[in-house]
Formats: sequence, structure tokens, C-alpha cells
Amino acid sequence: MAGRQRPRRLDRNIAYFDEPPERRPPITEVGPVAWVRANLFGSALDTALTLLGALFLIGIISLLLTWSIGTANWYSITFNLRLFLVGRVEAFMDPRISILFLFIAVLAGVNFAAWSRIHLRLWAILAAVLLALFIIPWLIAGAIPPPLTWLAAGQREVTSGSITARPVERVAFIAGADEEIVFRLVTPADDAQLARLNSFSDGMANTLRNAAANRLASEQRLETVRQELAGDRLTERQRAAREAELENTAVPPPVHTSYEVGAHPLSLTLRSGDTDAEIVNGTIAPGEELRLTLPQEGWYVLEKRVPDNDDSIALLSASGLYPVFDRSFIREGERVFQYMRATDRLLVEGGRPRDAGGADLPMLGIIDHQYRGERPLADFLSLMLGPFLDQLNLGLALFTAVMAAAYFASRWLERRDSDQEVPLRRLRRSAVWLWLVTIPLAFLLIIGVSSGPFLTLSDPQLWGGLLLTLVLTVVALVVAFPIGILLALGRRSTLPVVSAASTLYIEVFRGVPLITLLFMSMLLVQFVLPSLSGPDNAPYRVMVALILFSAAYLAEDVRGGLQSLPTGQVEAARALGLPGWRITLHITLPQALRAVIPALVGQFISLFKDTSLVTIVGLIDLTGVANLIASQTEFQGLRRETYIFIAIIYFIFSSVMSNVSRRIEASGSGAARA
Amino acid sequence: MASADSNPMSQGTTISQTDEEPIIICRDMNKWFGEFHVLRDINVSVAPQEVVVIIGPSGSGKSTLIRCINRLEEHQEGQILVDGMELGHDVRNIAAIRREIGMVFQQFNLFPHLTAMQNITLAPIRVRHRPRAEVEDDAMQLLERVGIPEQAHKYPGQLSGGQQQRVAIARALAMEPKIMLFDEPTSALDPEMIKEVLDVMKELALSGMTMLVVTHEMGFAREVADRVLFMDEGRIVEQGEPEHFFERAQHPRTKLFLSQIL
Repeated sequence: MAGRQRPRRLDRNIAYFDEPPERRPPITEVGPVAWVRANLFGSALDTALTLLGALFLIGIISLLLTWSIGTANWYSITFNLRLFLVGRVEAFMDPRISILFLFIAVLAGVNFAAWSRIHLRLWAILAAVLLALFIIPWLIAGAIPPPLTWLAAGQREVTSGSITARPVERVAFIAGADEEIVFRLVTPADDAQLARLNSFSDGMANTLRNAAANRLASEQRLETVRQELAGDRLTERQRAAREAELENTAVPPPVHTSYEVGAHPLSLTLRSGDTDAEIVNGTIAPGEELRLTLPQEGWYVLEKRVPDNDDSIALLSASGLYPVFDRSFIREGERVFQYMRATDRLLVEGGRPRDAGGADLPMLGIIDHQYRGERPLADFLSLMLGPFLDQLNLGLALFTAVMAAAYFASRWLERRDSDQEVPLRRLRRSAVWLWLVTIPLAFLLIIGVSSGPFLTLSDPQLWGGLLLTLVLTVVALVVAFPIGILLALGRRSTLPVVSAASTLYIEVFRGVPLITLLFMSMLLVQFVLPSLSGPDNAPYRVMVALILFSAAYLAEDVRGGLQSLPTGQVEAARALGLPGWRITLHITLPQALRAVIPALVGQFISLFKDTSLVTIVGLIDLTGVANLIASQTEFQGLRRETYIFIAIIYFIFSSVMSNVSRRIEASGSGAARA
Repeated sequence: MASADSNPMSQGTTISQTDEEPIIICRDMNKWFGEFHVLRDINVSVAPQEVVVIIGPSGSGKSTLIRCINRLEEHQEGQILVDGMELGHDVRNIAAIRREIGMVFQQFNLFPHLTAMQNITLAPIRVRHRPRAEVEDDAMQLLERVGIPEQAHKYPGQLSGGQQQRVAIARALAMEPKIMLFDEPTSALDPEMIKEVLDVMKELALSGMTMLVVTHEMGFAREVADRVLFMDEGRIVEQGEPEHFFERAQHPRTKLFLSQIL
């Protein structure tokens, strides 16, 4: 060590030397090329496996990306995010759930401070990610205009195959104040242009698009057949079939000319949806633009009229006019109708415009005005990604900010009196206490206390989505864990009756499938606990099944830990005069539990995932929501998107759990594992 | 002080070394592990402040004997009296006797999930119900006595074997026992660490603790013991003051054993 000189002393037998200079280990790291050669292409087999694996990964990822950008309807997620997160809980629950959410952020921050450090670099990365969550939607909104909406008008019907679309003269839509709408009357140059109207479109525009696409397809097919006939690669039979095909296939005349698409001017009228007052009345010629600025937020009605004797179809592209989702629910005893614009979630409440006869006017609804055709990346960004991030960013930013505040506050408090004998001891104690406070607080907030205005009772039947999944998991864990410990101790008990009863319980509940238990609990729990009967209490009955089930598995895990303890531990404790229950409490259990953390966390994770089975007995947990959405009219049959989404949520929670378990194993008195 | 029994072969005689009332008395004690007769007609008494070293080949029942004294093993015949209390099935008696006796194990058996300090303070707080602050002060003094006050807040896994064993001794002493049992306390230690543990034990013996020590450290026996017991095949074959015992062993089995280890 530099700076410290040892006295050099020599005598006959022993020589004292200066300490030898410390040497750093030799640099053995290699460059990236050498690394690649050593690890990816070490041998012929390695090379083959690397290439095969890479091909597989690239294939899967590119398939998934192509599908999720081009085809998938992610509106089923963005529109239903609340359903995914909390189910159908009452609106008064929202602030309570937000409080709970932020409290969990505090808990996370304090626990991070107590048990593991978060490097400043990681905080910086987190902050950057969050900032990106705000900036990306903003950039997208600024750089990429939302796609056009195609509307058609006319007096005649349009047919494509077996589909016939009738013109709709008046259509209602919602818009915000001071928004600009740009209409343009389009005259397509050819059918190819018509076939590429990939965007939101009404029924008639879509039918035009299909008709053009079909015509082009059959034209192409005939061209192929002609080429085949000109060649000499066909058998006699094939040649005859091709010739017949050529004979029988009639290619219709070009769609854009036969329907005279965009040949004549169109008269447009915009009315206020509430007052029916005319805002603009004008005529737009082919190729012309009409710009309107809307006075206020709310409903508008667009009238697009072709003169009675006109046979042409007008094709309008409209920007600023986007389809809406509609939904209705009961709020404080009254039915509320909500209309939400798909592209930017502009929300309007209240009744729809009606015609003179009192019937609802046709609306620019998402069901009839879906996005048609392959979606380009720009539209994916502006329609799907931007709005989705916009929905998440505030919540995530708040969570992280509160967590960071709790983290740095507790570290500061801890450092202020750093003269403690054991560093972090007090902080760790507070962290544990915070856990003990959080769980009852969570249930207080979720369940409520009375029907009064303060912490109003919420209806368990309405709990759903992630909320229900987490409630079921946490209740099952918190209640089953002590039961499991008692069962494990019971099974090892020297009292024959206790041991036999515990063993019987464990074996029975491990021998019955969870599904069976769930069905049984729905029917049988009420005989034992009559207060849990009725559909309202279905979540509680399911909890009973989950508790009984996981207690048996946890018991076996804990027993494994107890059995792995060296006997010397108990002997030492007995020699100190500790009574039996204190030995269990202070010596065997803490060590046994620590030894089986991986098994316990595995059990927790599988319990978390097993809660998805409650869908089968009619609860709408995360998986239930995914099923429910596939039955909504707007998202009929869209299962892929929702299942992928819940798979991601399940995965995030499971990996957080296993990550935490790894930290617990490695943290604190890790010496216990030495 | 102790005087060697004139007839080392005699059994069934209670040997009291001093005029004081013995603190441990074993009378005609027998024990079996299954069919195997581990302890045969053991008769020993230990006077207060006496240091008794038990030696013998492995499997001779040395450890079992001292483990019977604090009821880690159950004897099946005969009588054990500790400080006047009989060790039987009475749970309260067992608890009372264990409070009188501290024990140190070959494998230390520290609680790995607790710090050295917590290892020491656990029993005084939970069994004796003494206030934590007071117990922690005492524990600190004990750690100073065994020479490792700076390790108080380390976990056993962070300590060397010798340090662990010294913590184990401190842990046993924290219950303020009248008797200490040592079950091969240095057998699992590196040679360098044996001395530090033996030094602590010597200091303890000099302070007047009653000690029963099972060990292979003949130097320790010679220097510290008041009496050496030699056991073989579950019997006490020979006993005496160390000078007598090591220089003029009578029984051929003792002579053979000593010739092999010395």
C-alpha cells in the first residue's frame, strides 16, 4: 500500500519485507468480435444453433409486429382500460383506488430504501422513460396527422359482391371547440386509388373500396390465366378449365367511372347537434376543399346531399371527423350516455341528435366506421400507440414520483442519525410496519366501512379486472400463509391427532383440482357461512376456496423448510431454555421460511395466475375482462389483442414477484445462507 | 481440592471431590439408543466450581453423557440431580435445570439468521424476561470478555469458526448459568483458532465456573482440569487428577488410549 512505510528489519532468521505491491488482475476481456466468435459461432453446431435460434426469434417477432401494427385492433384495450384495471366498480371508488395506488408507491419506495439501493443511474433511466411516455404521444400528435375518414354520398346504392350499401344523408358526430374540419371531394383517378382507401370509412365508401379491389383482383386473375394459356406448361384438362374461366369471367367496368365517383359537386350542410341551427351551408366541387372551424364542443350533424337527378357518388375525405365509441351506464340512479372519440378520447355526455320523428340520427360510430384495410405505421402510432401512452403516462409518472419521494425521504431520515449501531435497522422495521399497515388499509379502501358518505361500501360483485385478481391473490396469500404454517407445524407435531388432521387436510386439498374446489365453494360455503350466500358474495366464496387450496400447498413448502434445518439449531435453543413455541417462533420458522423463499414465491406466482380460473365460476377478473370484451359489439370476437394484453400484465406482475424474491434471498442477513 | 480415588475401577460409588454439596449427581444412570447400550451405570458427581474433562475414543458416550445432563438426551435408568433438582419428566424441572446449565456445541449451532448480539440476547430477553437495554449491555460485556466486541452486529456467517465458538460461549454465559457443558468445542476449528477458544475457556475456569468439558485437547485437560474422566464403551473407566491421570494411569485401556494420543 502506498504511503505506508513499514520498518525494514532484518535479523538472522526472519526478514520483514515491505508489503509487495498490489497487482490488478490481468485484463481478460475481449473485444466484441472475439466475444461473438467465442460465444455465438464457436463450432459448427454452435453456429447452426445460433442461426436457427435467431431465425426463429426474428420470425416470431416480425410476425407479431406486422400483425400488431397492421391489423390488430388495439382499441379493445385503450377503450377498456378501466375495465381491465378495476372492472366495473362504482365511480366513487376511483379516488380511493388512486389513494391506494399511491400508498403502494410509498410502500415500494420505503422498501427499496430499506432493502436495496436504486442507483442514481437507474433513477435517471426511469425518469427518461417516463419523460418519453409524455413526449412520444406529443410528438406523434404533432408530427402525424390522424388519418382521414372516408364518407360517401349519393342517391344510388353501391354493390360489391353480395354487399349492398345504401347512402346515408345525415350523420352525427362529436367534436371539440375550435377544431378545424377539412372536407375534400375526391375524384379517384383509377380503381387502384379507390382500392387503397385504408382508413376509417362509412359503409358506402368501404363498399366502393371493396368493389374496386375485387375488380382489380379479377382483372389480375384473368391476366394470369392468359399468360398461362400462352405458355406450354398446362395439361389438356387445365387448359380447358382456364379457357372456360376466361370465357365465364366478366370483369365489371371500372368502379370509379361506372359510379361516376366524384364527378359532380356536392352540397354540404353542417348543423349544431343541440340546436339544429345551420352552421355552414355550401357546395363543394370535385377536387375542392371546404374548411370549417367549429364553435363549441358537442354534437354536430353533417348533411351531404346530391341532387335528386344526379347518378354520381361523391367521395369525401374528412379530417377532424372521427368515429366514436358509445356506452351507457347507471350513475347515481340515472342512465348516462357517454360518447368518446376513438382517436383522442374526446368525451361528450348526453343525448344524441334526433331527427324530426324523434329517432336517433345515424352516428359516426366505431362499429359502422371501422378502420379498413392494412394500417400503415404512421396510423398505428397516431391511433394506437400515442393514445395508449397518453392514458398510462400520468399514472406511471405519479407512481414513480411518489415512490422516489418516499425512497429519498426515508434514506435521508435514515442518514440523519447514521450513528445507529445497525445500519438500516430502524428503516427496515418501519418498512415491515408499513406492510402491516398497507394490507388492512387496502381492504378498508376497497371494501369500505358503511353505507354512509365516508368510505361507502362497494359492491363486491362489481370488482373486476386486475383489482379483483390482486384482491383474490392478496387475500388468499395473507390468510393462507399463517394457516399453511400452522398446518406444516401440525403435520410435524408429536400429537397424533393434530398430525393426522393436518396430514389429512393437506393431502385432500392437494388432491383436488382448484377448479373443482371453486365450483364446490360456490355451492357449499354458504352452508357453513350463511352470510356468504348470494351472488353479491361470490368473490368471498371464491376466496375461501383459494385460501383452503393454497394453504395446503404453502404448508408443504414450509414443512420442507422445517425439515431442512439442522437439528443442532433446536438443540441449541433448547439448551438455552427456550420453550418450544419460542423455538418455533424465533429459531426454526424464520430459518425455514428463508430457506424456502423460492418455493414460496413460486407458490405465490402460481396462485396469482390460478386466480384466472375464477372466470369459470362467473367472476370477471383480468381473464374474465378479456372474455367480456370479445362480446362487446365494437370488439366482437377480438380475443387475440385482449389475451396478449392480459398475458403481458400477468407476466409483469409475476416477474416483479420473482425479482423481489431474488432480492430477498440475496439481501440483509444473507449470511444465513452461508 | 480433588483427590484421586484410590481404586479407579470402582463403580457404583458416588465420588464427591470436596466437602461441598455436589452440584451434579448422576446415579446408576443407563441409556440405550435402540438396542445399543450407550451409557452404562454412570456414577458421577461434580462439585461447584469444579472443572471436569471427559476424554475417550469416539462412540464412548462422552457427548451423550453431558447431553443427558441438560436433557438433550433422555436417560432411561438411574437418577440425575442438578443443583438439587431431579431431572425427570417434569417439564418445569427440565426448564429450571436448563436455566442453570449453559452448553457449547462442536458445531457452534449459532442461529444464522440473528447477529452475534441477537444470538446472545435472545434467551435472556425471552426466557428471563429482562429488559432489552440491560441485556444488551451485559451481552457487550460478554463479547468483550470473549474478545470480540467489534463483531457484535455481524451474522455468524461473517465470522470465523473461532469467533463463532466464542459467540456461542458468550451466548451460553448470558443466561448466567451455574454450570457450563462443552461438547468438543474445538473439534471443528482450524488449529490457529483452537487457542483463542481454549483461552476463553481457561479464563472461565479460573473465574470459578463449574465446567464439564468433552475434548481431545490434552493440553487443556492437563492445565485446567481438576479431574479427568476417561470413558470407553459407555463406562467411566478411570478418573483422577490430571497429573495422576496422565502420568500414572492404571487401567490398560486408559494406557492404550493415552499412548495413542500423546
